[in-house]
This record gives sequence, C-alpha cells and structure tokens, in this order.
Amino acid sequence: MFSLFTMNKFRLGISDNTRRYSSTFKSFIGLEADPECQPYGNNHDESYLEQFTPKLLQGEMVVAEAQNVLLYRPVSDHKSGQSGVLFVTNFKLSFVTSEGADMDEMNCQKNFFLGPNDVCLSNVDILYQVGGGGKKKLIPGQSLSDRVKGLFVVCKNMKSFSFCFKFSPLGHGKALTNALLHHAYPRRHQLLFAYDYRETYNPSVKDVLSFREAGEWGTELARTQSIGWRLSSVNHDFQLSTSLPQWIVVSSTVLDWQLAEAARHFRCGRPPLWCWSSASGAALVRTADIIPTITDRVQENIMLETVRKAHPKLTQPIVLDLAKDLPSPKELDISFNKLRDLCTPDSLPQFWLQDKEFLPLLESSRWLMYVSQCLIKSVEAARSLEKDITVVLQERDGRDMCCLVSSLIQLLLDPFYHTLSGFQSLIQKEWVVMGHAFCTRLGHVFNPEAQQSPLFLLFLDCVWQLTILYPSQFQFSETYLTTLWDAAHLNIFDTFLFDCDRDRLLAAMEPNNPLTLRCVWNWSEQFSDKDTSLFINPLYNPSNSSNLLSLDCVTLPHLQLWAQAYFRFTPPLELVGGGYPQFDFFARSTLLPPSPTPLDDLTVDQVGSFYPFTQWRTTGSVHPLNHSLKMSTLSLDTTIESSGGGGDDATSCETGVMD
Amino acid sequence: MERKSSMEILNSESGHHCNASSDSLGSDSKSSSLNSKLGQEPAQPNNSNEPIQPARPDDLPMLPGEKIQGFAKEVTYLCPYSGPARGILSVTNYKLHFRSIDRDTPYVVEVPLGVVSRVEKVGGQSSRGENSYGIELFCKDMRNLRFGHKQENHSRRDVFEKLQQYAFPLSHKLPMFAFEYSETFPENGWNIHEPIAELKRMGVPNDMWKISRINENYEICDSYPTVLAIPTQVTDEDIRVIAQFRSRGRIPVLSWIHPESQATITRASQPLVGVGGKRCKEDEKYIQLIMDANAQSHKLFIMDARPSANAIANKAKGGGYESEESYQNAELVFLDIHNIHVMRESQRKLKELCFPQIDEARWFSGVDSTYWLKHIKCVLAGACRIVDKVENHKTSVLVHCSDGWDRTAQLTALAMLLLDPHYRTIKGFEVLIEKEWLSFGHKFQQRIGHGDDKHSDADRSPVFLQLIDAVWQVTTMFENAFEFNEHFLITILDHLYSCRFGTFLFNSDRERNRENMKQRTVSLWSYINSSLDLYKNPLYYPQLHVLEPIASMRYMKLWKGLYCRWNPSMRVQDPIYQRTRELLVLKEQLDKSSEECRKELKARMPRTVSTPTRIASHIHI
Repeated sequence: MFSLFTMNKFRLGISDNTRRYSSTFKSFIGLEADPECQPYGNNHDESYLEQFTPKLLQGEMVVAEAQNVLLYRPVSDHKSGQSGVLFVTNFKLSFVTSEGADMDEMNCQKNFFLGPNDVCLSNVDILYQVGGGGKKKLIPGQSLSDRVKGLFVVCKNMKSFSFCFKFSPLGHGKALTNALLHHAYPRRHQLLFAYDYRETYNPSVKDVLSFREAGEWGTELARTQSIGWRLSSVNHDFQLSTSLPQWIVVSSTVLDWQLAEAARHFRCGRPPLWCWSSASGAALVRTADIIPTITDRVQENIMLETVRKAHPKLTQPIVLDLAKDLPSPKELDISFNKLRDLCTPDSLPQFWLQDKEFLPLLESSRWLMYVSQCLIKSVEAARSLEKDITVVLQERDGRDMCCLVSSLIQLLLDPFYHTLSGFQSLIQKEWVVMGHAFCTRLGHVFNPEAQQSPLFLLFLDCVWQLTILYPSQFQFSETYLTTLWDAAHLNIFDTFLFDCDRDRLLAAMEPNNPLTLRCVWNWSEQFSDKDTSLFINPLYNPSNSSNLLSLDCVTLPHLQLWAQAYFRFTPPLELVGGGYPQFDFFARSTLLPPSPTPLDDLTVDQVGSFYPFTQWRTTGSVHPLNHSLKMSTLSLDTTIESSGGGGDDATSCETGVMD
Repeated sequence: MERKSSMEILNSESGHHCNASSDSLGSDSKSSSLNSKLGQEPAQPNNSNEPIQPARPDDLPMLPGEKIQGFAKEVTYLCPYSGPARGILSVTNYKLHFRSIDRDTPYVVEVPLGVVSRVEKVGGQSSRGENSYGIELFCKDMRNLRFGHKQENHSRRDVFEKLQQYAFPLSHKLPMFAFEYSETFPENGWNIHEPIAELKRMGVPNDMWKISRINENYEICDSYPTVLAIPTQVTDEDIRVIAQFRSRGRIPVLSWIHPESQATITRASQPLVGVGGKRCKEDEKYIQLIMDANAQSHKLFIMDARPSANAIANKAKGGGYESEESYQNAELVFLDIHNIHVMRESQRKLKELCFPQIDEARWFSGVDSTYWLKHIKCVLAGACRIVDKVENHKTSVLVHCSDGWDRTAQLTALAMLLLDPHYRTIKGFEVLIEKEWLSFGHKFQQRIGHGDDKHSDADRSPVFLQLIDAVWQVTTMFENAFEFNEHFLITILDHLYSCRFGTFLFNSDRERNRENMKQRTVSLWSYINSSLDLYKNPLYYPQLHVLEPIASMRYMKLWKGLYCRWNPSMRVQDPIYQRTRELLVLKEQLDKSSEECRKELKARMPRTVSTPTRIASHIHI
C-alpha cells in the first residue's frame, strides 16, 4: 500500500563544505547525485504500515498524505533529516516517522493532541513552495498544478518545517500541498476542528473566574472593595453590544436606560465600563470611541461625567487615547511579520546571513519598541491610579489595546493576578468576555478582509518582560506563557476561538451540530502533571510584593527578546548546559517541594536552554572532562573531587543546600 | 561546597561588612568598585542630627600612602544627569574627590586619576555664562567629568596642574601611586600564579612536554616568562633558531593541554616568512613535534587570529603566516579578528553611544553601528572554534596573530576558560590572567597608557577590556558555571586603570621583575582575595563540562552594567542579579526553617540524634 523504505536517517555523503553554497536548494542536487541516498525500496512490512499511521483523535480524518517525505532538521544545511509519511487531516499537519521513538526519550513538553512533528492547522501561518534555488510564498486557496519538490511551513508560533518530496511518488507533494492550502485556511468558522472533535468533555476548571456570571463580577467588585460601581444586566441577550458580556459593571450614577441610549453612540455599542478599582477608590475604565459619524461628543461627556461621579472624591478622570500612542493592529501585524521572518530562517546559511544584521533587523521590526510603549503606557496609567485618579482607556472599538493595557495595569497593581489562576481569570475578564476578536486577530478563519494581529502575543511578551524584571512576583513561569501562546493556536479549545462571547454561545446552542465548549484553562486536557508542574515559577514569593512601577526599566534598552518563545525552534541557538533552565532547576530543587518533573531522569548539564521545548538534540557534544584534570590546590572547593561529577545533578544541588 | 559558600554569604549578611548581595549586587555600589560612588551618599548615622559640615580636605577618606595635593572651594560639578552641584574639589596623588555642599545629601564624585586619559581647560578669560570656565576630564572608563571654577577665585590653575601631575606621573617624572600605596592584606596575591604548579596541575612535564628554563634570563624572548613548556624532543639549539624565525622571538609554547586526549593549545607570534616565503626547517620540525605530542590526531590547526588580508599584508613587513606546503598536516584558519586600531575606534564609538545620553529609540542600531559587539562576537567565535577542535576533534591548535600578545591572548585565555572549569573559579581566573596575559607579555602599559599623557597614542587599545567583555557574555549564557560575579569583572577593569595595584603596570614579566613589583607594590589579587565573598556568584555550582557558548549576534548583549553605569536611568539592576538576590532571600528562609526543624527534632529526641541529619523540609509557597 505504501511505498516505504527501511533507511530512516539520511546522512548524506556530501563533504563538509558548509560554507561554499549560497542557496539552500543546491544541496538537493547533491542529494540526487549521491547513490547512498536513494531511499527507494518497496518494503511492504505490515508493522511499518502501522508505524506510519498518524494518531487520530475522535472525529479526525486524513485528507491527504505524501509518502517518502524527508523532514530536514530545522535551520540546518539540509543535509540530514528524517524520512516518513506526511499527512494532512482535518485537525493537523502530521509527519509520521519510525524515528518517533527517538523523540520519546527527549525530555520535552508533550502535548496530548500533537506529536513533536505535528502542527494544528490553525497554527499554520505561511506556506512556501521550495525549489529551483528559491522559495515562493503560496496563496491560500490557490491550487498548484506543477510538481512540488519541497515545502517550507512557517507556523504562527514560529515553529517551522522543511519538507522535501524529492523521493515521494509523483504527485504526492502537489496533492499534499494543495490539501494544506485548502484545509489550513478554512473560510468558515464551522470548518474548524473543534466542531468535529467528538471526545467527551468533563469540565473541571474550578479556580478560574469565567466572568460570565453575575456572581463572579460581584465577587470581583467586593474583592476590590469597589464603591460607586454596580452590576448591570442591560446587555442581557446582547441587546446593547454583541461584543460585550451579558453582565457588565457600570457607574452607579447611570441608569440602564441612559446607558442603552448612550451605547448607541459608541463604536460596537461599548460605553465606558468598569474593569478594576484601586484600594483608594480610583477606577480603571475602558471604552470605545464615539462613532465617527457622530460629530458631537455629548453622550461621551455624559458617560465620562458618570465615571467622575463614581469616584468617591468625584475626582476628574484622565482619558488615555490608546489608538494615538500605541500601534494599530495593522502596524503590529507588520511588526510581527518582520519578527517572525527574523526568527524562522529556512536554513543555516540564512540564519547566519540574518545574524550579521540582527540588531538593525530587530530594531526595524519595531516589536520591542511596541512592547516598551505598551509597558510605559501601562506603568504611567498605573501610577495615576496609585495617585487616586480614575483612568479611562479609550480606543476605536475598545477591543484591542484596551484589553492589553487594562490587563497590564491590573497586573502591575494587583497581586491577586500574579497567581496562575488569577492571571487566567484576568485573561477571561479583559480579553475573552470583553470581546477581544481572537478569531479575527489570530486568523483562525481565512478572510483577506479581516486584519490579523498578534495583540495577545504582544501582551504575553509584555508580561514576560515583567516576569524577568520582577522574578519573584509571579506564580507562573515563562514556560507557562510560551505554552499559552501555543494554546492560542490549538483549535480544540473554545477560549481563543471566538471573536466574542455571543458567537461562542450561539455555536454551543446551534441545534444541528452544537459545539462542545472546552476551556483551555483545563491544562490537564493537554499535558501531564510533569509538564504542568513547570508552569509554576519556583521563585514566586507572594509575601514579598514590591513596587512594579519603575519606568526606567521598561525602556527599550532594558528589554530583551523573549528567547524561549522565539528561538526555541532554532537548534543552532540552543545552549547545552546553559540558559535559564539551569537557574530554574537550581531554584526548583532548592525551593519547591519535590514534585514530578521531567527532570527526574536527567542530569542538569544535559539540559539545553530551550528546555522543555527542546525537540532536536543539539549536535555539539558536551563531554564532562575527566577528573584527572585536578582542580587547583588553590581552589576553595575541595568537594568536587570527592563527589566526582555528582555535583552537577539536581539531587546534589538540593543536598548542597539542605545539608 | 554549595552550602558552604551560601552559608558564608548569609552569615556575612548579618555582619557589619557589606556582602555579596548588598554590595556587589546593589545598584548603587555596583556601579563602581572603587569606593567611588557617583551619586548620593547615604547619610552617616552619627551626624544625622547635626547639620552637614562642609567637608574640609582633611576629612577625605584616604588610602594608606595617599596624600592631598591640592583643593579648591566653590567648584561646580556639572553632572550631565542631575545638573550642577557646588562643592569642594580635592586632588590627591591617587584620586580626584568632589563633595557637594549645596544639597541635602552630599553628592560625591571620586575618580582615581589613573582613569583619566586627558585633562583640558575649558573657557578662557573672556568666558561668559555660568560654569563656562573650568576643567574637563576625559576618562578611560566611558565618562567625562566637567567642573566649573570661578575665575575670580583663581583656583583653576593649581587644580589643573595637580591633575596633570598626578594623572600623568610618568610624564612628570613622578612615581606611580602603586609605589606609594602601602595597605596590607591578609592574602598575598603575588603568589597566586606559580608557573610550575600550574603546569603540574595540567600534568606537565610528561612524556611529550617538558618544562624549559631556556628563557631564564629572557634571552630567547624578552616578552615571555622564564618558565616555558615545550615539546620534550626539541633541543635548545633549535629553540634559538626558531626564535629567530618568529616575530620578537615568541616561539610556540604550551598554554593548555587536554587531560585525556593530550590535544594542546600552543601560542606563538607570526613566522617571519616575508615576501620571499622564507622557510625554517627547525620551525617546521618543531610544529611537527607539537602535532606528534598528541597521538589522537595527525593534524594540527594553526588559528591565525587576523583577517587573511592583514596576514598577507604582514608579509610585506617581513611577517606572514605558515604555508600549508611547508607545514605538512597543518591547516591554517584565519579568525578574522581586527587589529588594535580598529578596536580603539570601536571603543570610541561605544563611548559616544553610552555617554552621556543614550538614544533609546535607536538603541539597537546604535549598538550595531559601534561594531563593538561584532568584534566581541568574533573573538568568542574564534575561541569556540579552538574549543571545538581541541575538545570534539581531539586536535591540537596553535594560535597566533602578529606578535601574539593581543588577539592571541584573547583567544587562548577564552578557550581555556571554556575548556577548563578551574579557570571559572575566582582564583583560577586570576591565574588565567596572570598566565596568559601578564606572563606572556600583553603590553598593559602601552595598551592602557598608564600614567602618561599621550592620550591619542596609537598603541592604546581596549584588547583586555574585550576579553573581560567576552567572559561576561559567556557568564550570561551559563549563569551557574562561574564562581565569580559581575562585580569581580568590573573590579578587575576598574583597577586595570586605577594604578593602585602593581598588577597591570608595565609590559612584561621581565619589566615587572626588574622593577621588583612583588616587593614594591600590592597585587590586585591581594585586595580581591582578602574579601572573596564580595565577588562570589551565589548560583555557582562547579560544572566539569566544557562550555560551548553560541557566538551569534542574537545572544550578544551590550554590557550596560559596565558601559552605561554612570547614567542613573541605565543603572537598572540586571535581572540576573535581582533573581540572585531573590534566591538568596529564599535560601535564607529555607535555612531558617530547616534550622527550626532541626531544633524541634532535637527537642523531641534529645538523645537519639547524635549527628545533625539532613532534614527534608521545604518552604511551601
């Protein structure tokens, strides 16, 4: 049935002339010329057939496959790779190889839904046809008629795959690429896999507030000791605004009918709404702009007056126009595209070409500048709130930067959100129910008219910068933030699948094919306890809360590029025995109660800097030096020789401290 | 070991003296290790109730051997960040000291005069406008200082003359401060590097390598040390011939040997090949001996640190590089590191970028345009290639550039640091500097220009600074692998310029011996090793493996803690240090709670616990 071959690993007999070629594709010529790498051979062994079948979920179907596909090592010289069968299903792009066993040994994060060589179709960003010494960007929905020799897949989370169909039966490459061009860019929401997924679901999320119920808003009002604000059901059945939740919090001085009247004057029907209150009574408020065709700002002024009256001292609020000072969704998307190109080189030569110009390229992407602008804006707003001044965030539809800045401000001011569950509740409150258009911004459904924009990633990057600046202030780790970004592109969970709560509700109540709502916060659906234990920051110390409102440290020169998120799929950048995981393990083994971590089977110095996202063994080998190399007699340290190499593993770190 | 060092730190925290977490990691004192805080001085507890007395010159904090040479009242320090401050300026034979009198908390500026590269008068008799008349100092540590004098006080002339004299004692026939400085320390840093002991640590002498005294009287090479490790089979006669064929007699000698494979790193200067392609049979044979000393490989890599164009250009001056025809089985690699003049220019641009103000919006392209990080990356990449050959291919490497005392020292020292965990300890690193830089004749005197006023001397170049920067880059990639912290590296650089210690004075072993430096001056290592806790990295645990950093611009960082430290807005704590501090706090809690458990256990079972056992308690947070 399949044309299979026994030789799994290609070690092509090309001499080590890595510096000589200029384009990536020349290596294919070498590939052909070498007699050793003719992998054809018709092995019809049944056990192989089994091996080369993708693991399918309930409701998942194969729509295309290509045999004898080579998957190159990412960012390599394209001289070695794995061979296997490539599948497109209604859920994922899946590369199946008999070398999978190799991966199981790796101590990397394992997602229950996706193998290491799988990617959810919602995560597929750009497809390039590779051949003839270059690569050509493919247009979604297009149908190719020529032979496809190679395919370069770039994902939204900066993972990339380089496939070669050189040895595939004629037509396989083309068929697979066409299937991918069709299924990775669905035209309707109902084509997303979530609607086909048939596994039963037992909701078990307890500690995250969904902010869909009146009680949860009530709790939040009470927790922040808010006065001057009240819960309103005026948006029941989404009469006021389709993008707002059914329960909203408004100034106590405004009546529901006044609100309904005013809302009509605001874009998307979104008048000023409460987000949060400071201990002294100042409130954080978010609102859309007045509809552009309305020339007078009467209704806006009325609403702002009710905001002022909600302040215990009737202090005048300040209004921040976020659209003016922060990037628009379009500008942000342009920035992200540049950043993504910089982080997804298609080959080792391209990697080094970019490296020469890395700093100018990074600067011209503007990504870190936008991160800095968002942080500065949020710190400034937080400082106003600290001075007991109510802050009103205003932005076109109030569904993009409003989400980002309001959640950052709350993160800066309220330690409640520093816990994992608190942070997830914050995302529910400011992003999910307040109608950030996840479906549009993440591009789950292909629509050339709609503006994709990674606002949520920008937010996670800002949060990451804060976790680096204030390492003991947050309960969640950078691995959690990176995983959350991955989860935004997994179309099984509903949390990041919709533009607003109303769409979600309609989908769930659809009589013909009701969608089962699966909440992403239920992490045990995706990961084992071992993996989720790494979501916790070992340094988190709630009793030691410090002021997070320094402006100096959020200026551009102080920000860093988020290496784990953006470089983890670039093996040449993995430091063996270095980077943050070393510190993390040290802290974990020192400070946390023993828990199952994937670390158990490892010695620390084998762990790379992209742990737990390392999927490719780093080529460089690190051999411990023999102990015949004596530590100097001058060295203070006399324990090394006696304990041998044992000083390196986690257990003895712990021992060292506990002794 | 881990426990010991952490306990020491924790114990010292309660002590009176500053400690690792509050001193070296504190944002204020971290900025400088010279006791020269630029910024506000904390109020003294004993005079908190009294009005602040204007400092008189005799109140100056001074080092043993330090003497006041001059002072001026009503001087204005023109701080580029916090505006003008009026106060008293003093000049000693070691430092310039300024203390403000017009601010609630006195503002103190202290600069060792060794740091000054140029002193200039600003404004003349016709100068108008406030503070347009005064003195400007240009410093080697990335800052300039400007002081305004009042014309009518006639104070400028004396201060200017004293600054000239004591900043540039060599140009004024005055002794360097290191010879006057008389502080004593419990440790004697001059003994840190015992060449024979260090070779023995590496297993030399052995079958293939011997310790030679042929340079006992610096007759072979006046910029080499007296003790050399060379292949056992080479004869003294051959060595004399080879010395004629290598620039300045700097023959290939052993720097490091791999304990298992016996692959070596040797260093030399360029061969004097010239345009005619001169050969030297003895040199070729000698290189073959170095290759043969390593049975694991039948090849030798010659890493020429220069760009190939420079190496070729050197032929015209009689130098050049080994041709692969003459040297069988040797493979020549050019590492593309530029010369001292290019580096000096890069440093100049770096100073422009970092001082006084920075352009935040164009920060990354600004950093890029100095080429500083690219040069550092290049040095690191070269060292990585050497490590790869020695460690992964078990092949010996000979390193040279032109004279073999600048780029060569950068490469061998860095490669050794990556290969050998010993050099990642505090004392091991001191040995590394003593060995690869000081004993092998890096011309510190010329490169830094100690005590002379020729600020535009073409021999000056930040070669050693680049090494320390490259080491710092590696510490950011492997946070746990080094026993020392950032403060250690900054302290070394501060005293590279300060002229307080004898360590970095003069150009070679020979000169330092002739001047009797060990007897007449104090070693920087005496100072450092007498308060080691300040320089320890609390995250350190000894790792025996080879470090393989990644020489990519994606990982090169501008060392803000060093280059931008004079700018208060840039003096934001390095997150690593913040984390360290957090960890120390948590460690302390942990120790406390385990101590409590121990006590509790003891109380419960007074007789059964004979030896303190490990108690597995954890902080639950």
